[in-house]
Amino acid sequence: MKKSIFKRVICAALAGVMMLGAFGCSEKEESSSSSEVDSLQKVLDSGKFILGLDATFVPMGYTDENDEIVGFDIDVAEEVCKRMGVELVKQPINWDTKEEDLEAGRIDCIWNGMSVNAERAERMNLSEPYMNNKMVFVVPADSTAQSMADLEGCVIGVQNGSTAQTILAESDIASTITESASATNDEALMQMESGLVDAVFLDVIVADYKIVTGGKDYRVLSDGLAEEEYAIGFRKEDQELRDEVQKILGEMKADGTLAEISTKWFGSDITTVK
Amino acid sequence: MAMLEVKNLRKCFGDLEVLKDISFNVEKGEVVAIIGPSGSGKSTLLRCINQLEKASDGKISVCGMDMLEDNPKGSGVVYADARLLRDIRLKIGLVFQNFNLFPHFSVLRNITEAPMIVLKKSKEEAEKTAIELLKKMGLEAKADSYPCELSGGQQQRVSIARALALSPEILFFDEPTSALDPELTGEILKVIRKLADDGMTMVIVTHEMAFARDVADKVIFMENGVIVEEGAPEQLFGNDATERTKQFLQRFSQG
Amino acid sequence: MTSQEILNVVKLLLEYLVPTLKVFGFTLLFSVPLGMVVALLKMCKFKPISYLTNIYILIMRGTPLMLQVIVAFYAVPMLKNGEGTPQFIVNLLNNIDIKDENYMFNAVLVAFVLNYAAYFAEIFRGGIESIPKGQYEAAAALSMTRTQTFFKIILPQVVKRVVPASANEVITLVKDTSLANVVAYAEITLKAKQQMQLYSSLVPLFIAGAFYFVLATVLTIVFSYVEKKLDYYK
Repeated sequence: MKKSIFKRVICAALAGVMMLGAFGCSEKEESSSSSEVDSLQKVLDSGKFILGLDATFVPMGYTDENDEIVGFDIDVAEEVCKRMGVELVKQPINWDTKEEDLEAGRIDCIWNGMSVNAERAERMNLSEPYMNNKMVFVVPADSTAQSMADLEGCVIGVQNGSTAQTILAESDIASTITESASATNDEALMQMESGLVDAVFLDVIVADYKIVTGGKDYRVLSDGLAEEEYAIGFRKEDQELRDEVQKILGEMKADGTLAEISTKWFGSDITTVK
Repeated sequence: MAMLEVKNLRKCFGDLEVLKDISFNVEKGEVVAIIGPSGSGKSTLLRCINQLEKASDGKISVCGMDMLEDNPKGSGVVYADARLLRDIRLKIGLVFQNFNLFPHFSVLRNITEAPMIVLKKSKEEAEKTAIELLKKMGLEAKADSYPCELSGGQQQRVSIARALALSPEILFFDEPTSALDPELTGEILKVIRKLADDGMTMVIVTHEMAFARDVADKVIFMENGVIVEEGAPEQLFGNDATERTKQFLQRFSQG
Repeated sequence: MTSQEILNVVKLLLEYLVPTLKVFGFTLLFSVPLGMVVALLKMCKFKPISYLTNIYILIMRGTPLMLQVIVAFYAVPMLKNGEGTPQFIVNLLNNIDIKDENYMFNAVLVAFVLNYAAYFAEIFRGGIESIPKGQYEAAAALSMTRTQTFFKIILPQVVKRVVPASANEVITLVKDTSLANVVAYAEITLKAKQQMQLYSSLVPLFIAGAFYFVLATVLTIVFSYVEKKLDYYK
């Protein structure tokens, strides 16, 4: 009995699929392969430089309370784009699939406080590291502690579930201190202010940022743990684009623009661009 | 002219032959009762004539139109083309044992739907006919009710009205009272008797022996897929009946 | 978080209710009819079709929707850049601009529609198969065509029978729209996660949760009304 109904519904289904297809298509023709054209020229031609970020990394690149994507990386990228004469497009992505987005051509680079590691260096064309990050101890300005060694027997606050917590637990001083986990870094710092913990263990860039934006009277101990470097990731074949961005970063370092942006976010120039 | 001609009809479900060489005629205005034990093939016969089952062999024609014939080129049967089959189907109405009313339609719409979408009658016309039929069934007050609000007997009367709304030439009943409480069978039998008095041609598969004897012009006794005996009620229910028929009727009256 | 900050987040999330509802609405719009088609295909007497339909349903119900969204999203660029892809497919795919604003939404929609159609198909199939054979026979005896029988007699009864199970799916769909955030589709959950990092607080996520709760509650009320409306017969 279903034959005639079937014919109708199959037609309807096909029509539906085609409609969906047409929906997803736009008329624009894409240049066939990325390697044939100069990657820098492509960006200049389109007038757009698409920066991929997951927009949750405070203060490197994140969404603020007005739903604007801001951060240190964004300020730097804006300046780079200005000098290249193109528009910066901030494209939120899922951090877990950033390499796929890059290779698929949805974005031109990943620029979001991305740490350098062997796998990423293998899969992407990385810029020179532009900043160092390490895990550091923050103490109240009036604390007597000057280095890690002085923290023996102290209570150390750390964000629960963070990389800092793991690193602290695996460090040599783990046995000599007492860990106190908080839900957030902010909470840990507040506990330090009220004297519940003696120091807080966290990323140096977050620490610097909190001190600058919060205007707090904290001090960062000079020695830390687990140093890592941040770099910008480009497609393997996009050598020209990478070199151009690298060149502009060098110029910005030389003329003090980079230092200016760094000071705005971290209180001093902590960039490592040469 | 015979309203219905069935000739050498066979029906198999796989290896099981449920109808073996069935032949009989129904004349205009005739009321035929088909009786026999369960599993004798009575319902299957009705379903073959109503195109709900495909026959395996034989010939059926309705009102002079050939519905199916033996395949001249070999085994099996050839059915008429779809248009003719539809014309034939419009000549016959079927009343089911379980009523099979459409639960989502009101009583009125159950009756008007087919005339409107099949015969393309106007709503007014279809409703006029429906109300008349409901009056005939003594159910005019139930036009706006839903089937679930009616008793079994009332539902069966609606389903008879629904079949009559297409003005069939022959009406088939497949054990119309079997799903009803004994006290409700009377009202259905009364309706069928009235239809018989009006000259309606009917074929009734039934277990109501007294009713068959009373109303039918012809009674067909079936067993194991064959017609054992066929004739006037006086013959089958009388002393001249075959031994097999007598045995069946005797067992029936006992239990 | 201060109450001002909370209010700020609520306002922001309210704006992103639109993309959430867009995924929800379009998914329903396409997956319900497609589900009906799939249900009929599955009941097809021609075995290869019902077999293929079964495989489709098995895959759609057997893998996470999150994965399907990712596959739908990256299938186009991966096929385009893949080595073994036939040229005509590449040509076809070259017409799709993955940087286009609508691309992300369309990819998400394809995954959602295909997934939900599979679930709806099984609900509808159950509904269709629960209609007694006598209904088909009564319609046939009244000379109704197959199309008339399906649309006038069977479908209305199926609708009533599938409403409770479909309500379940629809309410699940509201919450499943949050899965679109795996490809960074800007909807409530993605925004809540961003705000969560900004304020170092779980509160934005709870606010998003409250949004879903309100939507689900509204749907629950709507469906119980519909069920009541359809209760005029048994």
